[in-house]
Amino acid sequence: MTICEIFSYLHLLVENKTVKEDRYQHISDNTLLERFYTDNDNQWLGILLQRYTMLLLGVCMKYLKNEDDARDGVQQVFLKAIAALHKYKVAYFKSWIYMVAKNHCLMKLRDRHGKSPVTLNEQTLVVEDEPVSVEAHLDKDRMLDAMTIAIEDLSAEQKQCVTLFYLEMQSYNQIAQVTGFSMMQVKSYIQNGKRNLKIAVGQIVKENE
Amino acid sequence: MNKDLLNILSNSSKDIGNQQLMDYLAGKLSEEEKHEVEMQLTASDFVSDAVEGLENISNKQEINVFVKQLNSDLHKKLSQKKTRKQKRKLLQQRWVFAAIILILALVIATLLMIVKYQQL
Repeated sequence: MTICEIFSYLHLLVENKTVKEDRYQHISDNTLLERFYTDNDNQWLGILLQRYTMLLLGVCMKYLKNEDDARDGVQQVFLKAIAALHKYKVAYFKSWIYMVAKNHCLMKLRDRHGKSPVTLNEQTLVVEDEPVSVEAHLDKDRMLDAMTIAIEDLSAEQKQCVTLFYLEMQSYNQIAQVTGFSMMQVKSYIQNGKRNLKIAVGQIVKENE
Repeated sequence: MNKDLLNILSNSSKDIGNQQLMDYLAGKLSEEEKHEVEMQLTASDFVSDAVEGLENISNKQEINVFVKQLNSDLHKKLSQKKTRKQKRKLLQQRWVFAAIILILALVIATLLMIVKYQQL
């Protein structure tokens, strides 16, 4: 065996971990969960949870506003998730783990502020939308009609940002340059515009039924 | 009216990759690629919250270091649990063996006693 071969072998050994992770990339969250429920092997939980490490770190950072607390938060969320998954079945993992993380952060904030309550408004308690939309109830033409009416009812800023983003496929940055709004404003106009559109379309659909 | 309007209400089922997210935060993506990531931001509160938080980490290089560290801790914890479970199993097995040996010893002792009594 030449030295070169030995080195490449060693390199492979070091890389083995990442190769191993990539090997599971094509497996869906649900399949991983099913495998865990079948053989109770924690390995599957490890693969599943680490898919969300970066997102969880971001969520904890958003609420706890401190890097050390955020890292600690992710570890706690992992522990809570592992304990819970051993006890009961979870159907839609991505929104479930998001909810676990959010609840954990809110609890931490409550502890931090002593007894002064953190406002638990509707938005903080809402679980992320399951991938089901109003579209299921309507055919495309009727949907388009409803959207055309609803988009006209948005505020001028929301309408402008929503149109540039969804129809002209521009990035936040491009929209900010064109409109003169800040990136944060663009983001919130798009998000609120989308929310308003959803509500308006829902109402139009109800009226038509 | 443009058919892309329908995209507004659909929730993207596409998942965002870590590398794509890091490149977005580092401002390395083209406007088109940025738009692709931002479509996922508007479709998912999870991703949107995460990006907001990650933007607050001043040194973006640290994100990868933190993630690697957290993942390795996670795997350590999970394998610890496994070995603890295996140890418990082994311990239980030991008790089973001890019980079997005790019962066997008792049976043999009784048999021996019966044989002895019969001889008397």
